[in-house]
Amino acid sequence: MLVSLWASFCSICLFVPLVISDRASAQELVHRTAAMPQKYSDVFKKYCYDCHDSDTQEGSVDLEAIPFEISKDIGTAERWAKVLNAINSGEMPPEDSQPIADKAKLEFLDALSSEMVLARKILSDSGGVITMRRLNRREYQNTLEALTGIRPDVSNLPDDQANEGFDTTGASLFFSSDQLEQYLDVARGALKLAMYPPKRKSRTRRIEPEEYYTPHYEGVVKELKRKQANAEAYAAQSEKPPSAFDMLDEYQAKKQLVNMRKWLPQVEEYIARPETQTGATLIMTIKYGGMTTVKLPTLGPAEHGKYTIRMRAAAYKDAPERFQYVEFTSGLGKRRNHLGWRKVDGTLDDPEIVEFTFEHRPGEKLSYRIHQRSHQDRGDKNLWTVDMEKNGIGTPPGVWVDWAELIGPEPVDSKLLPTMLPDRPKSWSEKKYARAALKHFAEEAFRGRVPTEEYVDKLLGHYQAQRAKKLNVKDSMIEPMAIVLSSPSFLYMVEPKASEAGDTLLSDYDLAVRLSYFLWSTSPDKELMKLAKTGMLSDPAILRKQTTRMLADEKSDRFVRGFTHQWLEMERIDMFQFKGRDFPTFDNAVRANAREEIFSTVGLMLDEGLPLKTLLKSDFAVVNDLMADYYGLPEVKGHEFRKVSLPRKSIRGGLLGTAAVHCMGSDGVRSSPVERGAWVLRHLVNNPPPPAPPNVPQLSRLDGEPLSGPELQRAHQEQPQCAQCHQKIDPIGFGLENFDAAGQWRATETVKVKTGKREKRLKEIEFKIDPSGKFPGGSRFSDFFGLRDEIAKHEDDFARGFTESLIEYGLGRPFGFTDQDLADEILNATQNSGYNIGESVHALIQSKLFRSR
Amino acid sequence: MSNTNSRRTFLRSSTAAIALPFLPSLGFQPFANTASAGSIITNAAPPKRMVFLGMGFGVTADRWYPDTATVGENYELPKILKPLKKHKKDITIIQNLMHQYSADGHAGSTFWLTGANRYAIPGQSFHNTVSVDQVAAEALGKKTRFTSIQLTAKGAGEDGHGPGSSLAWNRSGKPVAGLDTPVAAFHKMFSKDSTPLAQRQKILNEQRSVLDTVMSDAKSIERKLNRTDNQKLDEYFQSVREIEVRLSKEEKWLGIEKKTPKAKLKEPGDLEGVAEIRMMYDLMVAAMQVDASRVFTYRMPANRMIQSQGATMSAHSMSHYSEGERRTVSEKRDTGHAKLLSEFFDKLKASKEPDGSSLFDHCAVSFGTNLSSVHTLKNCPTLIAGGGAGFRQGRHLVMDDPKTPLCNLWLSVLRGSGINVDSFGDATGVIEDLFQL
Repeated sequence: MLVSLWASFCSICLFVPLVISDRASAQELVHRTAAMPQKYSDVFKKYCYDCHDSDTQEGSVDLEAIPFEISKDIGTAERWAKVLNAINSGEMPPEDSQPIADKAKLEFLDALSSEMVLARKILSDSGGVITMRRLNRREYQNTLEALTGIRPDVSNLPDDQANEGFDTTGASLFFSSDQLEQYLDVARGALKLAMYPPKRKSRTRRIEPEEYYTPHYEGVVKELKRKQANAEAYAAQSEKPPSAFDMLDEYQAKKQLVNMRKWLPQVEEYIARPETQTGATLIMTIKYGGMTTVKLPTLGPAEHGKYTIRMRAAAYKDAPERFQYVEFTSGLGKRRNHLGWRKVDGTLDDPEIVEFTFEHRPGEKLSYRIHQRSHQDRGDKNLWTVDMEKNGIGTPPGVWVDWAELIGPEPVDSKLLPTMLPDRPKSWSEKKYARAALKHFAEEAFRGRVPTEEYVDKLLGHYQAQRAKKLNVKDSMIEPMAIVLSSPSFLYMVEPKASEAGDTLLSDYDLAVRLSYFLWSTSPDKELMKLAKTGMLSDPAILRKQTTRMLADEKSDRFVRGFTHQWLEMERIDMFQFKGRDFPTFDNAVRANAREEIFSTVGLMLDEGLPLKTLLKSDFAVVNDLMADYYGLPEVKGHEFRKVSLPRKSIRGGLLGTAAVHCMGSDGVRSSPVERGAWVLRHLVNNPPPPAPPNVPQLSRLDGEPLSGPELQRAHQEQPQCAQCHQKIDPIGFGLENFDAAGQWRATETVKVKTGKREKRLKEIEFKIDPSGKFPGGSRFSDFFGLRDEIAKHEDDFARGFTESLIEYGLGRPFGFTDQDLADEILNATQNSGYNIGESVHALIQSKLFRSR
Repeated sequence: MSNTNSRRTFLRSSTAAIALPFLPSLGFQPFANTASAGSIITNAAPPKRMVFLGMGFGVTADRWYPDTATVGENYELPKILKPLKKHKKDITIIQNLMHQYSADGHAGSTFWLTGANRYAIPGQSFHNTVSVDQVAAEALGKKTRFTSIQLTAKGAGEDGHGPGSSLAWNRSGKPVAGLDTPVAAFHKMFSKDSTPLAQRQKILNEQRSVLDTVMSDAKSIERKLNRTDNQKLDEYFQSVREIEVRLSKEEKWLGIEKKTPKAKLKEPGDLEGVAEIRMMYDLMVAAMQVDASRVFTYRMPANRMIQSQGATMSAHSMSHYSEGERRTVSEKRDTGHAKLLSEFFDKLKASKEPDGSSLFDHCAVSFGTNLSSVHTLKNCPTLIAGGGAGFRQGRHLVMDDPKTPLCNLWLSVLRGSGINVDSFGDATGVIEDLFQL
């Protein structure tokens, strides 16, 4: 297998909000320009003017005339970008002319690439303008739910998180040509359901899994035995053809003899277990049904609501920990969705009741299943074969299920549902009533903004048109209400322009909206609206009290997730697939829970007011039973995430101890020191390297042979194009090499190399890991712990990066130079609290910029 | 009731104001006039068509491109493109085309048909311009029910295409939505509407009145906003305008039933990957047969394609190929695409126009992406086919300048198809070589 320098180099993610680490004061930065120091004209003189001076201008490139102020305008920046690309790609200077001396080239590229980053920032600075923003997909979904009580399926709307930066940035939230019709469709669907809340009673349906599985596996045993007998009888004679023994040909006869010996013991063992007479043991079979699953009754499109799965189960305590869990899923094949996991603690002598709650979405028809933990690929089957070769039976079972019940839907208190239509006062005409109801709904949807009379009249017109079609009152309301939910006053956060007097402060209503979408990703609740109405919300003390209340509300989880996911580029967790065969314990469950671990950690820090540096290094981890098992931490029971103290010198604690971060820093096969190093520079020490340049030629001599870490690191220093960034990135990345791609500790790295033409012939090579190095601009470290301490020293830098991201997310515009003052203000205000997250949120909300349009 | 109506009844029932489209079965002269500006199409010629097929993540670069030492007609088709061998005379592979402004290693489609500089506007972090297909559609789409058809795939966001809703971007550089399943494409292009005419007219009027209502709200807030916000709100206005244009066109076509091709076309099932792409190709052929549209773009699935070929990894993993399984998957994908294309060309060649020529003879097909491989953005893989743009096919062209604008090809496709635009994107001219006789 080739581990190309190119592949590892270029895997630096390009979708990064660029963050500036300069220490210059904000004032200075506002007026700052990006410029190449004049001294580099020497490089041009010496190596380029032969062809690119003002007289020759080969390829119409005149380097004598190029302004050294890169950020002068977009044209100049583009010209410099071409210079950078030409040198990076090795295209310039051409082969037949004098190459630039390595040291000079390194310095030149280093300076130019950082100035380019700065120039891009300067040129794309919004100048403090917050562009009016559309509700992004998350917010739209939450808001519709708040208004109608129905959480709509929004998968047909554009995914706003696919854009660069945060999904709250107005300028990047487009409106495409048929989006309006998509909004109308989604709204009609949700309103139809909302008009008629289901009044079904909860019921309990029990499944006894042995009713299917015991006869099934008995039949399988019979069938396998018959096939085995046939194969043996055929082998024992030489006269009759295979067809006489119910086999196609010689090949099948041979296969059958071998396969029956492989498959039979497991099923025989299954039916020999007495507990399979009263329940089902969850096993994995290669043929005959794959995973044993307890299938619960299918729920239809109109059966939405909250359901509970209750099951009586026991664990086989000798099974590997992974198998002592059950996995709850919906759907099949590629549409399978993982709902959650529960560890089973009961024993066959004393089974326990396990409960799991989930939500069945309206409009969906889905079956729900219980089975063992699974991998993303067919790894479970590969692992079964490995186990079978070892023990003659296959993967030992972990859980037995006596029965399972599906209970629900949980009755909904109709008082908690939004009132779609108020009662009609007796004296009112239908027209008067309908108009008032629509006006009220529009006001609610427009977050307090009063619609024009003309608009309400038009809505009434739609209502009347529906009525004319013989629809009843409720059904006739759906169309005009769907129109409301597709109108700009609903879809956009409208913040009126400054008054003539130049007063740029937001009105209390607009402040409530901005606040609510920042912390809850949804529309303001009644309390906020009430305070806005009385004009009290902008009072600093009340604003602070409200912020505290909002952070304590469970809806603030949307802020934690929405912000953290994008801040730390966590989409990378799903970017690569891990093979079950190579990473047997890193399954779907660990991947999902590793992500939850990060959210839970940030959530806990917010709740407990912990200093931000907790994320750099801490003496505890926030885990549940599943992650504790994965990390080998003892004594954690239950699926809820909680604080768990770590032993001294634990590799866990802080982001660098999490499986999620290391998994993000890999390509699903090998760890990627470059990816990890760049991530640490970007997010933990706020010293981002320039984005990976495209078109850097691959070092061809690296083809075919895998290299050890230090060898790769040396290779990165060979060419100045690579060295300029890698001298900063590599020491950090290689310092984390004791973590494999799935975040587990290792002393050596094992790499599989293809030896023959066939993929299966792999040879293993072991590399020693040398994590020691020198932190860029810091001290030497000898191992991961030393590196972690070095990084932890950068608390202030970390806080600055975090604050800049928070401003971007909260204000809804890319962080620009114009926001430097605000960043300083927040950092000053929060320094004493250890930059704790809640205080940072308060400081941002109290700032004048947050309260201004 | 309408099922018993013949097409003729519908025609009679429609008003005189309705522009009649090209309907050979009813004896109308195909392409009766050439209203499109600067068109070089003669009256009797079958219509010109264009197809753009974007594959997202790049190709297996060291195996996909032919040897640069052999150019012209006597080049060897790379082994992984072998299924295209029978069409070798009718396709051309061009090397050394690229977009000078590309900088994003995961966006194979965002700027592929536009060539825009995403940072061109000060104070904005994203900017795009109109795509070549939409420019073509303005001229070629006048006579058809659908001005252009955009096809895409579910989950294409993770397939290396980059931001966007399809390959197409409108005149304001905003994404144009696409049909993301064969079922959706089938219904849009071929499903007969059994609703009576009067009622359909009523539905159209209702849709217009919806637009009227939302516009009333839009106008009321427009007054309250500053310039930047109004620019943002303009996207909303633009969306409404585009729907209005579409509704007017729908109204014009109201009396004319959608046509289905002679060969029986069944509603496609739930297809994924190779089967899905094959069906989309079939639907495009069928749409051309009945002249439902003349401009097609298709943003193809990558993840589902390789998974339908048996791969268990993601397309992104594959795109970072190295020796071993990832490379095998990547090559298999390349060959899979070559096979699908070959079948597509077979069908285009087999479909005859009234004058005896084939659809293939009048179609300009472009296949490729903005990424070469991994994150390399130069030498965009480019394979063109068909006689639509008047190119001399059957060759391997290597541009002298390794930075030849890809927009030069797009400009060539436009002009070659009779659309005499002054320029396109950052094009410096047409690729003269293509028109060489």
